[in-house]
Amino acid sequence: MVQKVLEVEELKVGIKDEDGGRIAIVNGINFHLHKGETLGIVGESGCGKSMTSLSLMGLLPAGVERHGGDIRLGNLNFNSFNKKDWRQIRGKKIAMIFQEPMSSLNPVYTVGAQINEMILNHERVSKKEARNRALEMLKLVGIPRPEQVLNEYPHQLSGGMRQRVMIAIALSCNPEVLIADEPTTALDVTIQAQILELMKKIQDQLHMSIVLITHDLGVVAEMCDRVIVMYAGEIVEESLVVDLFDQPSHPYTKGLLASLPDIHEQKEYLSSILGVVPAPGKMPAGCRFAPRCSFAHERCKEVPPLFEMENGSKVKCWLYEDGEAEVAAT
Amino acid sequence: MTESENVLLKVDNLKKYFPIKGGIFGNKTMKQVKAVDGVSFEVMEGETFGIVGESGCGKSTAGRTILRLLEPTEGSIYFQGKNIAELNPNEMRRLRKDIQIVFQDPFASLNPRMKVRDIIEEPLINFGVSDRREREKRVLEVADQVGLTAAQLSRFPHEFSGGQRQRIGIARALISKPKLIIADEPVSALDVSIQSQVLNLMRDLQKEFGLTYIFISHDLSVVKHFCDRIGVMYLGKMVEIAEKHSLYDDPLHPYAEALLSALPSPHPLQMKNRIILKGDVPSPSNPPSGCTFHPRCPSCMDICKTERPSLQVFRDNHAVSCHLYESTEKLAVAAGELK
Repeated sequence: MVQKVLEVEELKVGIKDEDGGRIAIVNGINFHLHKGETLGIVGESGCGKSMTSLSLMGLLPAGVERHGGDIRLGNLNFNSFNKKDWRQIRGKKIAMIFQEPMSSLNPVYTVGAQINEMILNHERVSKKEARNRALEMLKLVGIPRPEQVLNEYPHQLSGGMRQRVMIAIALSCNPEVLIADEPTTALDVTIQAQILELMKKIQDQLHMSIVLITHDLGVVAEMCDRVIVMYAGEIVEESLVVDLFDQPSHPYTKGLLASLPDIHEQKEYLSSILGVVPAPGKMPAGCRFAPRCSFAHERCKEVPPLFEMENGSKVKCWLYEDGEAEVAAT
Repeated sequence: MTESENVLLKVDNLKKYFPIKGGIFGNKTMKQVKAVDGVSFEVMEGETFGIVGESGCGKSTAGRTILRLLEPTEGSIYFQGKNIAELNPNEMRRLRKDIQIVFQDPFASLNPRMKVRDIIEEPLINFGVSDRREREKRVLEVADQVGLTAAQLSRFPHEFSGGQRQRIGIARALISKPKLIIADEPVSALDVSIQSQVLNLMRDLQKEFGLTYIFISHDLSVVKHFCDRIGVMYLGKMVEIAEKHSLYDDPLHPYAEALLSALPSPHPLQMKNRIILKGDVPSPSNPPSGCTFHPRCPSCMDICKTERPSLQVFRDNHAVSCHLYESTEKLAVAAGELK
C-alpha cells in the first residue's frame, strides 16, 4: 500500500499566448499515487483538473504545454520522453478513459479492431491471440454477447456499453495506472452505478491504481481513498476521503460540500459560494480563493503554503497556520 | 395536497409520437417513436412539480409539448381550465405570456448577436407592449430581480459565465409576468457552487411572484431539494407520482426504487444496498410489450409481460403504475389506511 506508483512534483501547465507569454492553468501542484489506491481529483470547470490528467498522458492539446515539474512513473521520468517513448508508455503502463465515449471511439472501425489495435501495438502476439484477448476483455467488462459486439461499430452500442468498451481498451494491456477523466458524467445514474461498480471490481482483480477526475462529490465518496481538491489551478486541500467529508478544512471545500443538495436533509435554501471562478490570466494575487471567501483577512494577500493538519490532511489556507506543522514545499 | 388548492395545469393522456420516415421516397411512416405516451398529471398553483427520469424518457418532450413548442399527437392540456391543445397558433402565442420556459443550455439558448438588454426585452415586444419607456423600465426591474446590473445589459451573451447566462434566461422568462415556468434542466450545465446560486434565485422569485414551476431534471438530489411533488418517467410514461417525502422515503415502483438507490451516497461511510439494474433503457421506437420496464425489473411477474399497468392511487398523494400494487388485498389495505 505504501509503494508510490506515480509521483507528480511542481507540475506547471500553461497556454502560450500571442506575444510569447504564458497563461498558467496548472500552477505547480504536487501529488502522488499509491499502488492499488483510487485518488480523486475534484474541482469545478476550469480548475485545471483535466489538464493535469492530460499532462500525465502527454496528451496536452496544441498550444498548451507543460513547462515545469516532474512526473515519475516508477523509475521512469516523463521529462526525457520523446514521441516514441510516449507511445510505448501510453496504454501499456498508463491508460486513460474519457468522458465522452462516443467521441473517443473511432466511428469507422469495429470495436474489435479498436481493442486489437491497442494489443498489437504493445505486445508481440498474433492477430488471433489479440482477438481472443479482446474477447476476454469484453467479457471482463460485462458486455452481453461479446462475440457479436467485437464486429459491431460504436454507433450500434448504447452510452453505457461504449464506456465499457473504452474501459476494455484501456485495460487490455494491463496498465499500472488508469486515469479516468469524468468517466460517468455523460451517463445516467443507473448506468453510472453499473460502471462504477465495474471499475471497483476490475481494480480489485487487477490491482490497478486509479486517478479519478470528477466534479461529482457523490462519485468521490463512492470510489476514492484519497482526494485532492483543486481550485484555479492549485491544490487547496488533500486528505483521506472520510476526513474530507467529515471535517472539510479549506473554506472552498466547505462551500462546495454545503452547496450540494442533501437527499436526507431538507433546507429551504442551499448555501452557495459567492462570485465565480476567476479566469486564467486574471488570477487574484495572494490566495486565489480570497475574493470569494467569507473568512478572508489581511493575511490572504499573501500566497498561503500547504499546512499539514493533525489528521494528515493538507490545506492551503492561512486559517490553519497556528499550531499546525507546515509542509515543506518540495 | 388539499382539495381547496387550485389546479393550474392539468395534463390528460398527453401523447407525442415522432414518425420515422422510410420507403423509397422517404414519405412513408415506417414506425413511430413514442416519446411521450399517455402522460397525465396535475400541477397546483404555487407548487413546484418535478419530472425526473433518465435520458430518452421523454421528460423534455413532455415539457415542450405542454407549451406546444411541439404539437401534441393526442391528449389535452388544461391551463386554468382551458384546453390549450385546441387553441389556434395566434391564441397560443398570446397564452405563452402566462407560460414560459427556461432551457438547459444557457450557451445555446441565447442569441449571440443580440445584446442582453434586447434578449430580455424581446418577449415584451412580442406580447405587444408598445411603450418603449415602459419596456425599458421593466427590463431594468427584471434584471435587478435576477441579479444583473444595468451595465451588464449592454453586453453580449458570450461575455457572461454559465451561471449568469442562466440568469439572463430566467429574466427573459420572467419579464412577461408568467404564472407557470417550465424549467428544463436549468442547472444541469452548471457547477455545483453556481447551481446553488441559481436554485436559490429561482426559489426567491417563486416566493416573490407566486410562480408555479415544472422542474425537469435528471438529478434526483436537486429535484428532492427543489420540488414539492415529483413524477418519475420511464420510456414516455409516468410510472410514479408522489409528494416528495413519500417518494424518497418509500418509493413504490421498482424503477423508482432502483433509481434512488443508484444515487452515489453523500458520505463514504454510508454504503447502501444498491439495486443495480441490468441492461439499458430500451429504444422508445420499439418498446417492450406490457409494462415497458419488465425486461429490467427485478420483481417482474408474468402479467407484466403482457399487460400494461395503469397509474393508480396507492396511498395519499402517491400514485404508481405497477402490477405489484394492483392486487385487491393491497388496494384494500391502502384504502383502509386512507380512512
